[in-house]
Amino acid sequence: MELDYEFMQKTFFEVWQGAGVTLSLTALSLLIATAPAFYLAVLRLRGSTASRSIARLYVSFVRGTPIILQILLLYSLLPSILNVLVKAAGLDFNIFESVSPFWYAVVVFSLNTTALLAEVFRSALLAIPKGQLEAGLSIGLSELTTYVRVIIPQALVVALPNICNVTVNLIKGTSLAFLMTVKDVMAIGKVSASYGYNYIEAYVDVFVVYLVLCSIVQVLYRFAELRLGAFRGNDWN
Amino acid sequence: MDTRAFDPAMIVAVIPDLLRFLDVTLLVAITSIVLGSLGGIALAWMKLSKKRVLFAIAEAYIYIMRCTPSIVLLFIVFYGLPELLFSFFGFNANTVHRAVFAILTFTLLFSAYISEVFRAAYLAVPKGQYEAAVSIGLSPWQAVFRVVLPQAAVIALPNFGNATINLMKEGALAYTIGLIDLIGQGSLIIAQNFGAYGIETYTACMLIYWILTLLIEQAFARLERRLDKGQSFAVRDAAKKPGFLPNWMKGGEAHGA
Repeated sequence: MELDYEFMQKTFFEVWQGAGVTLSLTALSLLIATAPAFYLAVLRLRGSTASRSIARLYVSFVRGTPIILQILLLYSLLPSILNVLVKAAGLDFNIFESVSPFWYAVVVFSLNTTALLAEVFRSALLAIPKGQLEAGLSIGLSELTTYVRVIIPQALVVALPNICNVTVNLIKGTSLAFLMTVKDVMAIGKVSASYGYNYIEAYVDVFVVYLVLCSIVQVLYRFAELRLGAFRGNDWN
Repeated sequence: MDTRAFDPAMIVAVIPDLLRFLDVTLLVAITSIVLGSLGGIALAWMKLSKKRVLFAIAEAYIYIMRCTPSIVLLFIVFYGLPELLFSFFGFNANTVHRAVFAILTFTLLFSAYISEVFRAAYLAVPKGQYEAAVSIGLSPWQAVFRVVLPQAAVIALPNFGNATINLMKEGALAYTIGLIDLIGQGSLIIAQNFGAYGIETYTACMLIYWILTLLIEQAFARLERRLDKGQSFAVRDAAKKPGFLPNWMKGGEAHGA
């Protein structure tokens, strides 16, 4: 079999144009998920019994179901819900035409990432000895200040390798956004693949793009880890 | 758009229909896990070996698989492999069942994920265990198989359980190549209803997956307790019992503030 190298080259650059969508989807989802994830993590550690179990239920549900089903479900659910809300508010606004599927994808991946990050944050907070909080309080810092200036900086370093994992998995996960007709790397590759039946060429291109994206992200996280972890000495691990 | 009311009864009604195809989902998952574990053992062995070529190959394979979205690999295998087979061997793979492609893909992925689990578990058993076994006259093979591996297996168990659950969830992708598994059947049901009851059907699928995940988690937790032979759990349980020292004096507590 002859691979069509010319096609492969041409498609490679086309596919790269989707990298922006893939990365912005990833970054937005991570940003949106961070605050609620932290809240969930704190709830699971020190919330009331009811809020603890709600947080646990949410995390368990999201982690226990395939992301593809979450996409399929929310993609059929969200537009209708929004439509009802808009109608109820009496606005003349067509949801089905004017909301880009990109935003539905952001919602799906944010909800998913929230649960994953909550687990990461929880284990990172658990890794910080209780004495750190007590020491902060004993020298007169408020609880909030102790969290912001003492506990979170340490927990973040512990959490970074896992956050990196979540990010890489999220980049990979966003490849499913093509089911919502988002034009990311995978979607562009899929279109070019079926256009001339050049499946191998197109998907190998897509595969290379994801490989490069994930590698860059991992290198960046490694830098961040070294920098944020400077307080414990760079040769510590 | 006039919205039809959400019909919870429909969720229950489609579950029996969906469950008829649970065996396809489970078959794909279990076969991939078994084959992938064999591949994972081979990869872990390569990464532990002193031959640099083997190490580099395993390392590269694991890195690449870690960066590949499963759907991309699935499409490469499903669309690309038949072309390759045909042009090199003249073998017509179009008649091969779709499940085979799904199993092949998930085996490739799972072996990469699980090899790291196996390797870490093997390294977590102290070297003294092997030395002690050899010093009382076991052969090196016996020492590995009778002393080191049983302990490594227990250490690997929680992560193996996680990887199993992840694989089962990723197996849900198989419907995108037209395999009629749980979700494939779900979309068929939706199509038969002319696109209606999508939300209810997907919810039913999610519930089934959720229950499966919880069951697998439980099963692994039990297995771990059983295989542990009273080692780490005994220590943990003892720590919980009121002992000589009050709990706050033991120190090293976690930040469960």
